Parts: sequence; C-alpha cells; structure tokens
Amino acid sequence: MPTAEPILVVENIVKRFETQDGVLTAVDDVSFNVMPGEFLSVIGPSGCGKSTLFNVMGGLLDGYEGRVMVGGDTVRGPHASVGMIFQEESTFPWRTVVDNVAFPLEIAGMAKTERIERARHFIDLVGLDGFERRYPAELSGGMRQRVSMARTLASEPKILLMDEPFAALDEQTRLLLGDKVLQIQEELKQTTLLITHNLTEAVQLSDRILVMTYRPGRTKRIVEIKLPRPRTSEVVGSDDFGRYGAQIWAELREEASKGLQDDESRVARDGGRRA
Amino acid sequence: MAQTGHLTGVPAPAAGPWLSPVTRLRVAILLTLLVTWEAVAASGILLREVVPSVVVIGRSLAELLFHPDLKWPVDIGMGGLRFAQQLWVPAFYWHLYVTVMEVATALVIGGFAGLAVGLALGANPFLSKAFERYLYYLGPTPKIVFFPVMIMWFGVGPESKIAMGTLSCFFPIVLSAASGMRQIEGVLIRVGRSFRLNTWQMVTKIYLPAMREPIVNGVRLGMGVAMIGTLLAETKLSNKGVGFMIIDAYNTFDMPRMYAVLLTLFVVAIGANALVGRASRG
Repeated sequence: MPTAEPILVVENIVKRFETQDGVLTAVDDVSFNVMPGEFLSVIGPSGCGKSTLFNVMGGLLDGYEGRVMVGGDTVRGPHASVGMIFQEESTFPWRTVVDNVAFPLEIAGMAKTERIERARHFIDLVGLDGFERRYPAELSGGMRQRVSMARTLASEPKILLMDEPFAALDEQTRLLLGDKVLQIQEELKQTTLLITHNLTEAVQLSDRILVMTYRPGRTKRIVEIKLPRPRTSEVVGSDDFGRYGAQIWAELREEASKGLQDDESRVARDGGRRA
Repeated sequence: MAQTGHLTGVPAPAAGPWLSPVTRLRVAILLTLLVTWEAVAASGILLREVVPSVVVIGRSLAELLFHPDLKWPVDIGMGGLRFAQQLWVPAFYWHLYVTVMEVATALVIGGFAGLAVGLALGANPFLSKAFERYLYYLGPTPKIVFFPVMIMWFGVGPESKIAMGTLSCFFPIVLSAASGMRQIEGVLIRVGRSFRLNTWQMVTKIYLPAMREPIVNGVRLGMGVAMIGTLLAETKLSNKGVGFMIIDAYNTFDMPRMYAVLLTLFVVAIGANALVGRASRG
C-alpha cells in the first residue's frame, strides 16, 4: 500500500432520518480513511446504513453531521473526482453500450470520435468488446452491470464508490466479475470503496474491510486482508481466505442476528405490513 | 400497432408464396364493405342520394382531387429567387392545407404547453396533488362546449379552431408527461447527479429520453383529439378547412362529394398516425 495522504477522509459521520416511529440514526459516528490505490470494503447486515454512507460520500445526500473530504476538498454535492456505481440497473436503455460508456465524456464536451475511442478502451477493459452497438436490453444482467462499471470508469474518477454492484447477480457471475474487478484494480491502481453484504466478495477484493454494526451503523472493526496480489477468484479456496472469512463472519454474525430479530419483531408487531 | 421495446424490430412477415393470411383477410374485409355498399346502393333500400354508388363516389373523388377550381396565390421568396404566382389547384388542397396548419399549430402550442406543465407536475408532488385532480376530470370533458367561448375570444377564423385543437390536445399530453416523469427510475437520476449534470443536461440527456415512450403516446393521443377538436369546430362555424367542406357538401346535399372528402380525410388521418407511430419506434 502506498504511504501518502489519504485520498478519502470520512470524519464522524452521523446521519439521522425522521420516520413514523421517531428519529432513526442510520449512521452513527463513522470515521475512516482510504489511501490512494487502496481497496476498502464496508460490510454489514442489511439496515446498517451502508447505502446511506455511500450516498453521503457520493454527495447525493445532505443533512448529516461530520464531513467527507476528497483529495482535501470537503464534499458538498457530487464531487468531480468521485465515480459511483449503483446497486440497481442503471444503464440508459435508449443508448447503445458505446454511447452509455461515452456518456460522461459527452457531458465533459469531448469530441465524438475521441470519446468513442476512449469509450472503446473501457469497454475492452470490462471485457465487453464486440458488444459496442448493442442495447442494454439485449445484454445479461452481469453484462449490463459491466457497462455501468465501464461508464463510471470512463469518467476516470480518482475514487470509485460501488454500492453492492453485484447484489442482483448469481454467485458464479459474481465471482467472475470479482476477477474482472481485481484485474481492473491491478491495471488502473484504482482507489475503490465497495459497499457490500457479501463476505466472499469483500475478502476476495479488499485490502481492508470495515465491519459495521447493525442500527445504528457504527464501525465495529477494521480488518486488514493480507492476501497476496495479484489475486484471482481462486483465492477463495485458500486457507487464509477461510480464516479471514471466519474472522469477519464472527464479527458480522452478532450484527446480522440483531437485524434478523429486529425484522421478526417488526413483522410480529405490524402483522407483516411494512412501516 | 406501435412496436414497443428498443431494438427488437418487427419480425419479418413470413414470405409466403402470395400474401399473408392477415393481409388476405384485410383485403377481403375491404372488398366485402365495397360490395355491400354497392348492393345497398343498387337495391334502392335507402335513398340513392344518401347511399350513392361506388362509381359515383369515385367520380366525385377524382373531381375533388384533380379538378382545379381555385386560384391559390403562391409567393415564395428565398434569397434573390422569388416565386410568386397564382396557381390553379383543386380547392380541396387549399382547405386541407388550412386544416393541417390548424392542427399542426394546435399540436405545437398544446404539445409544448402540455410538456412543460407535465414536467412541472411530474417534478413537484405538491403541484401534482393540487392540480392533477382537475386535469383528470377536465380531460375527458368534450371540449366542443367551449367553442362559443373560443369564437368570442378568437373570432370565427382559424384562430378559434387552433384554440379548440390546442385545448383538446393539451390534456392527454400533460397527463402522459406527468406520469411518464414519475415513472423514471430513480437510479437514472442519481447517475445523472453523480456525473454532475446541470439542469438542462438532466432534462435533455435523462428526463426526455427516458420519457420518450409516454411522450410519444401522449402526442399521438393529442394529435387524434386535436384533429377531432379542429374538424368539429370547422363543421360548426367556419368558411374554410376540410370540416367546412364536409358540412358544405352536406348543406348542398352533394353526398358523393361528402363521402369523397371523408375518404380522403381517413387516408390523411391514417398517414399522420403512421408518421407519429414511426417516430415512437425511432
């Protein structure tokens, strides 16, 4: 890991939401740093405020306490150095793959031939060469998520934020896309922050993993993953991988069961209706 | 019918030895209609003047389309070139021109107004709660009841017809734009924000393309009712336009001519619909 100034600083973030049942503290005093080139994952059970944290860091949410700094600037709204990849299907269905990927370049005012060429580079990078002229509707879910990834990478962000980008995909596709992420990581030295609830994914990809508590979301522990790089999905079979997995699951288990109990008591109370 | 979806084209019709069964049936329906009509005309069950023979209507149609009976002053100036002349044309084309211009103007005014108001309603839940109830109830109200008001406001000329067309097409367009905007996936808007689009880029690069289908459907519905509004107004009180031709033929009891105008009008309406339908496929 390069020793330098942290490129992303998250300081004492507290975010509360008004709900019918009163004030809900989604994120409670979370702080961490991300170094240039580092891959950090934030893992926690559903409802621990991971996505809230993602939106705060991306500048899509305000009204929180604490501050987020990107390369020394305090974040107030979406920052030019931050690229975001969302959990939901987010390709533009009216644009072809190449026009989707070229989108941020088009917004930046790059000339057409130049941006098409740039876009092709990132399409190759995510392994979708040959599909440039296709529309998202013609692609599989995993391919569409790679289009979104290429689109965000094309804006050449200093920090890549990903919110459970593979959550909707099956396990095998997820492992293989993880390989793709590792390979891109190797090639671009891309600083990445991944929000996930998937243990395997977190250990497979990360340099460090931040485990969050269930509601309110606090930092429970930060685990350093000292698996050698370059990695591939084969690392999943190694003893070290198993040890890290067990360690993080030990941290996570308690939180996940709290979430489960909470869900059960809510269902019992509301008779199954969502509040 | 409109083909939805983005790239999947219409499957090529089976290249049969002759025509597809559907096409054959369609032709058969038309032929049956013609034969039935002719049989009724020949039988004399109904007045011959009310149901004239197909041949008589055909003759009238030919006269309508090809007999020049109107001097149309044309004056086109382009740069140094100037073309100014009086052309003898069949009067029908001039009336058709009047009606098409009325409908087109109505569609432009009503379309832009509907789109702008629809976007505002779609973007603002408070406004939409306050106003949309009224729009829903006013939407299906027959607009022709406002025609006397429009005559008072805009006179008996094309302006009052344009007002009727505008009033008619505003409602379907505003409602489909508002609901189309609400149906946009929230994540696409977050993508736009994360790429730091300004308001204009958000509208042109995300909102409008994402809303294309509902907007085109709204415009298609709007065009239909704009034609109805305009033609209805022309038949009530006017001295030009296709609606006027129809009612004029009726008043002078020239039934073949009336049928000829109606037939031509069908063709024009079908063509206009096909044009908008093609735009929706893009």
